[in-house]
Amino acid sequence: MEFCLFDDTGCKRNKAVTIKPPPTNAERTNSEVKLNKVPSRTIGISAMIISIFFTAYWMSLQGSLMDPVSEDMESSAILFEGFRSDAWQLPDDEFLGFVEIASGQFTMGSNPAVDRMAYENERWSPSRRQGSVDLPTYYIARFETTNAQYRKFLLDTNAPTSASAAGMIPITNITWPEALSYARWLDTQLRQSSLTPEPLRQFLSAGGRVNLPTEAEWEKAARGSDARIFPWGAQPSGAFANFNGTELLAVGSKACPDCSYGLSDMAGNVWEYTRSPAQDYPYDSNDDFQHLIEGALWVMRGGSYADPVNNVRTAVRGSVGPGVRNSTIGFRLAISQL
Amino acid sequence: MAIAAKHNKNLRPAKHPRSDQQSQFSLGSYKFSFALTALLFLLSFTSRIQGNETLVLSFRGAAFALLLWQSHLMYLAFRAKETRVFSIVLRPQHYIQAMVQSSVYLYWGYYWQPVYEHGWLIIAQLLFAYTFDMLLAWSRRREYTLGFGPIPIIFSINLFLWFRDDWFYLQFLMIAVGFMGKEYVRWQREGRSVHIFNPSAFALGLFSLILIITNATHLTWGHEIASTLTLAPGIYTFLFLIGLVVMYFFSITLVAGVSAISLFALSALYYQTAGVPYFLDSEIPAAVFLGLHLLVTDPSTSPRTPLGKTLFGLLYGLGVFALYTILDNLGAPTFYDKLLCVPLLNLSVIAIDRAVRSIKSETILNLWNQNWFKGRANLAHMGIWVAVFLGMSLIGKTDGKHTGDSLPFWAQSCSAGLPNACGRLLQLKETYCGDNSAWACNELGAHYKEGKITEIDTGLSLAYFERACELKYQLACFNLLDQNLLGRGDPQELDLRLLLREGGQNLMNTPLSELYARACEHEWSFACSMTQVANGTRL
Repeated sequence: MEFCLFDDTGCKRNKAVTIKPPPTNAERTNSEVKLNKVPSRTIGISAMIISIFFTAYWMSLQGSLMDPVSEDMESSAILFEGFRSDAWQLPDDEFLGFVEIASGQFTMGSNPAVDRMAYENERWSPSRRQGSVDLPTYYIARFETTNAQYRKFLLDTNAPTSASAAGMIPITNITWPEALSYARWLDTQLRQSSLTPEPLRQFLSAGGRVNLPTEAEWEKAARGSDARIFPWGAQPSGAFANFNGTELLAVGSKACPDCSYGLSDMAGNVWEYTRSPAQDYPYDSNDDFQHLIEGALWVMRGGSYADPVNNVRTAVRGSVGPGVRNSTIGFRLAISQL
Repeated sequence: MAIAAKHNKNLRPAKHPRSDQQSQFSLGSYKFSFALTALLFLLSFTSRIQGNETLVLSFRGAAFALLLWQSHLMYLAFRAKETRVFSIVLRPQHYIQAMVQSSVYLYWGYYWQPVYEHGWLIIAQLLFAYTFDMLLAWSRRREYTLGFGPIPIIFSINLFLWFRDDWFYLQFLMIAVGFMGKEYVRWQREGRSVHIFNPSAFALGLFSLILIITNATHLTWGHEIASTLTLAPGIYTFLFLIGLVVMYFFSITLVAGVSAISLFALSALYYQTAGVPYFLDSEIPAAVFLGLHLLVTDPSTSPRTPLGKTLFGLLYGLGVFALYTILDNLGAPTFYDKLLCVPLLNLSVIAIDRAVRSIKSETILNLWNQNWFKGRANLAHMGIWVAVFLGMSLIGKTDGKHTGDSLPFWAQSCSAGLPNACGRLLQLKETYCGDNSAWACNELGAHYKEGKITEIDTGLSLAYFERACELKYQLACFNLLDQNLLGRGDPQELDLRLLLREGGQNLMNTPLSELYARACEHEWSFACSMTQVANGTRL
């Protein structure tokens, strides 16, 4: 066996090179003995054992890193004006931000003769432009679900939390099942807590469930019983809604005293998930289960801050895959009988 | 060899520099280690690495640690007026092994893209390994033997386990531990001080144990690595062929062949007894088959005598077989079986040698007598192994359809109460759910909700329904909406493309009619009627 010995003068410079057979172990041992300064193996073994224990300790920590960090704990206790830090960061009003929508009929879908911006999928049927839907009483949230509210849920369920975000900004970048998961959690909280207002408690006891609204519930809440094109009336207005813009706003930033039921951001800010599968009108909540299709989409409503005016009308129907995360999609909750 | 010879042509024999080394210090060889460290640092600027902050920090942290170590060694050498040297020795067992391992990466990566994406990370590990090994030798005041030695170690580690980007610093630590094990964990064998453990197997075994104990497997790609080898079509034949190369050059046929045969035999015995396959989807999992060719066969940490090698192979087969069940019963990932086994076997080498020497029977000792085959015993062993493998292939026990691939088979076995069948059914569905089969996720949600074949776990059930729903399985979304509902349906098109890919076939572009026909063959009864529909509509 031939080989080349590299040192400071090195083979590369073709200087000071020795060609010799490789040393046997015995020779190597002898040369080590001659140097007489070989570091003890104990140091190396100790370093190795320390590395191994460090690794084991560190790996065990990684499992617990999935828990919320202390920063999150702090943010959950932050006071936001008009919201209750002791009540899941829900609005500080009589029904914790839920607004009762009385039972009754409303007009669903669009009449292109009245609303020039109407899309084809808002037509009720080949023979009718709009339909009439009767809904029992339900509650719907005045505001879109916020980051602070959603983070409270994540903390409570020991789910991993993302980086801190402004508390009163609507939560976005969550999937449809995650929104449902939040609804399920709040349902449990409201049922168990003494903080729950009595009317809500009774409604829940009578079969009500915290959930995403159906698209009918959403539309009725947005347009009221007088079939408005926008939540505030027939004409578009940037004063009452965040659309055609570049950024999300905190919930309720655009005051809209004339909006149906006093709800905020039913037009713009974020698209809102519903619990209705995307299918053609006429709307019938009873046929939701009858059209199971591969790659099904779910209806979302209201348009977002980035949408043009025609997409923030009360009758607009968007659809989205249940696994999608998007910075323009959030949700608000309803409490209704299933 | 070629490189050494090329150098030597241009070299004139000169006075051995060692006499000068004792009296003067120079940067010399440190330039090489500095260059490797600098390359490692520079790699952190590539787009693959820049995509993850932890990865960048891991690379720079490793480079910085190596730099500190070099500086310290330089300082010590400067004070002692010494210099450090390295020599080039190219050993076939290193570069042939490295070439064989490279071919596995190339073939596997062609069918599973993350392997190619991992390329930069493997290069970084090589740079780290070379530098670390060199500094370790110099710390021990030894010449460093530069060759291809670290390459098979790194390749071998990465064929079985690598950490995800967010924890990649642990990969560097694993390599460091492997090399330290080689350097420090030694014993006297046949009068020589040799390392006890195969360096890659030591690192893999130790880290596997830690990952199991700390329940931190999710930090690694271990599951994916173990299950995606079969995505490459004909992987068993491929591994068999490259295995022959290693067997030919390094006479490891007895170890690899006997371990494979013993595993085949044990699997067959179990199937005959229990009525269900032992391993989930093959007689020998592909990753185990890879391990018995490339992980357990290091000649320096295995017995030297033919009978010893035979025992060693047999013990590996038994060990993997037993560990599979032990890990399963402990609730630990079963893919660790092949990794935990090797260090234990390395420890048994001296005992095996001693046991073989204690055998008095000439008949047994001469069983593998080298003279039997006129000095070509290894070729004879290879011939037997080729015959066995061909036999196994002919009866469909390697590549191709396997009973355990069929979910309906496991469902029927579970209903019939056969041993382990329900557990295997869940395990298989978990694998498919992990591969994004929405149907499998919904099925798991249903199982954990019903509590018929496993205990009720509402949280887990909801989590599976959520995953299935996100994958657009609409029934799962309804299961989430109304907890009084339990919707279950048939697999969808994409599900079938995943569920029917036995032997790793890629069915993503298979025509729908063929897909349903294949599903029908695999006892998916709903697909038999769909085949007619698909044919009728020329889908």
